Amino acid sequence: MEDRDLLRVDGLTLDYASVDGRVRVLENISLRMKKGEILGVVGESGSGKTTLGLSIIGLLDSPPAEIINGSILFEERDLLKLTVTELSQFRGPGIGMVFQESLAALNPVYRTDAQIRESIKVFEKAKRENFSTADEDKMMIDTLNDLRLDRPEWVVKKYPHELSGGMRQRVSIAMAIVEKPKLLILDEVTTGLDVYVQNRILNILKDLNRRTGTAMMFITHDLMVASQICDRMYVMYAGRVMEEGNTERILNHPLHPYTQKLFAAIPQGFVDSPPLPAPTGEAPDLKKLPTGCKFHPRCPYVMQKCKDTEPPAFRTDDERHVLCWLLEKQ
Amino acid sequence: MTNILEVKNLTVSFVVRAGNLLLFERGSGMMNVVNDVSFSVREGETFGLAGETGSGKSIIAWVLVGLFKPRAGSVKFLGREINFRKKADLTYLRRNVGIVFQDPVGSLNPRLRVREVIREALIASRLFNQRDHDFRIEETVDLVGLRRSSLDAYPRELSGGEKQRVSLARALVVPKKLLVLDEPTSSLDVSVQAQVLNTLKELKSKLNLSYFFITHDINVMKYMSDSLGILYYGKLLEVGRTYDVVTTPKHPFTVRLMSNVPGLKRAQPQQEDRLGEQGSSATGCVYCKVCPHVFEKCDVSPPMFDSGSDQFVACYLHDKHVEPIASS
Repeated sequence: MEDRDLLRVDGLTLDYASVDGRVRVLENISLRMKKGEILGVVGESGSGKTTLGLSIIGLLDSPPAEIINGSILFEERDLLKLTVTELSQFRGPGIGMVFQESLAALNPVYRTDAQIRESIKVFEKAKRENFSTADEDKMMIDTLNDLRLDRPEWVVKKYPHELSGGMRQRVSIAMAIVEKPKLLILDEVTTGLDVYVQNRILNILKDLNRRTGTAMMFITHDLMVASQICDRMYVMYAGRVMEEGNTERILNHPLHPYTQKLFAAIPQGFVDSPPLPAPTGEAPDLKKLPTGCKFHPRCPYVMQKCKDTEPPAFRTDDERHVLCWLLEKQ
Repeated sequence: MTNILEVKNLTVSFVVRAGNLLLFERGSGMMNVVNDVSFSVREGETFGLAGETGSGKSIIAWVLVGLFKPRAGSVKFLGREINFRKKADLTYLRRNVGIVFQDPVGSLNPRLRVREVIREALIASRLFNQRDHDFRIEETVDLVGLRRSSLDAYPRELSGGEKQRVSLARALVVPKKLLVLDEPTSSLDVSVQAQVLNTLKELKSKLNLSYFFITHDINVMKYMSDSLGILYYGKLLEVGRTYDVVTTPKHPFTVRLMSNVPGLKRAQPQQEDRLGEQGSSATGCVYCKVCPHVFEKCDVSPPMFDSGSDQFVACYLHDKHVEPIASS
């Protein structure tokens, strides 16, 4: 790899401590991201994808979260070793995050302009002394224009509940990108939006990525969203990355049985199509994880080895990493 | 094939006290959330209703189980005209039509164990002797693919998929003819969604049911429904056989919708348009504020045009070929 990684997560292992014991939420997660790359973190609920996003931007409360092992290097600096004040320097111009539910992420008692201004104030005031309200306005309106929001001057005078889902989502994206972060973490940004609005938001983000070179990490449960926009993806299950690699290669030829099942579960045909080949059972309870490979109770190709030992990440010829014994070279 | 359910010119109104809602009818203080909607469900088939958030899909579902009274229009179930003011008619409707609500958490009483949640439906129906309750509950639970051990659990102890199966069991414990499914899988993960969809299809043929299926997910809609309707701001824009509507959509809105159906592929970068993403008109076609093909005639709300082979379209351009927007 020639150019330096923007973000490198190595062997991140994280526990949540609760009254009824410790739960391993992330196990040995390694992830790298180049400048300007769009990355997908895909998984079903409880796979640890949101926790991963929150741990990168340093928003996990500790307790209950406890990092057992690993490092998160952002531009060669380990974010886990920084103090809270040092870390806050990295947010805004460094890392921005858009949260899952736009209605919950926005403060209901402030108009949207106050909320976007807040992110501007924190960082710009520190940089420049004579930073006027007019400058603020310009930054805010420019950002909203970038997001192709119709009549931004009108939108900023509204309360969050007065806006449609698509507008609201763009306001929360604006809050995150107004400081032009190098890395933008997007947690389920299109969930709950109509397909057309969803496509527009994806287009806008892709366009933003092309123009500004902002690297994006898409956290989503929706494989179709991930496949539309991401260059590479990480498929997570029970706190582990089961398969990692180039999106097109994964789509055309998924290697991990879990990835295969996940793709097969998406309805594609008309009403007379055969039943969906869904994986049996449900995602495991993190408190009672099975031995060996965490997917083995639901896996159609299960072997004795899978029950005994958890597979390491095998590297394939096309630069993928797959956590499955089937990939072990004989 | 006979129709199990026929809905004609259904209109549901909300009283609007304040605010400047887009559909506000001046003077009357009433807002039509469902406006002049007609469709029918054939026996043994699935009728799908698709539409964006706030288009009135759930309101229609609630009318079909008598939770809402329509302001105008008629609902005919198995040939019997339902008078929503007559208790006997409502009882008849509820005895034959079951419903599964969208939110599996909000629709199950958190203080009751699963067994009692399901029993409530039996008690309310007064069709079963109390002695038979437990037998009937266990039979239904097996049918919907729920473990018997979950009967003694509280809803919060179950996973999302299991909760939806409890809702399904509650709807089916008294045998039904039609099941109203309001986004039954939208809160579930893909793998669990697939399991629930499979169960629904199995149950339909096993119990000889008909479905009224609501979803915003076109992939799910395609897979589940024989016929479908597209709802927009309370108006039905297009109705027809699923295959026809998906492959040859006629209404500009449906055309846009179908060209945006997500798939497992890399998206082609599209030219972004600056069109408002929503809006409707009180007098003309509901879609005219957004429609790229709008012309003078659209100031008057279009009727449903028959465009052949059971496809009906509420658009003056129903016989013209309309291109999806934002492609240039």
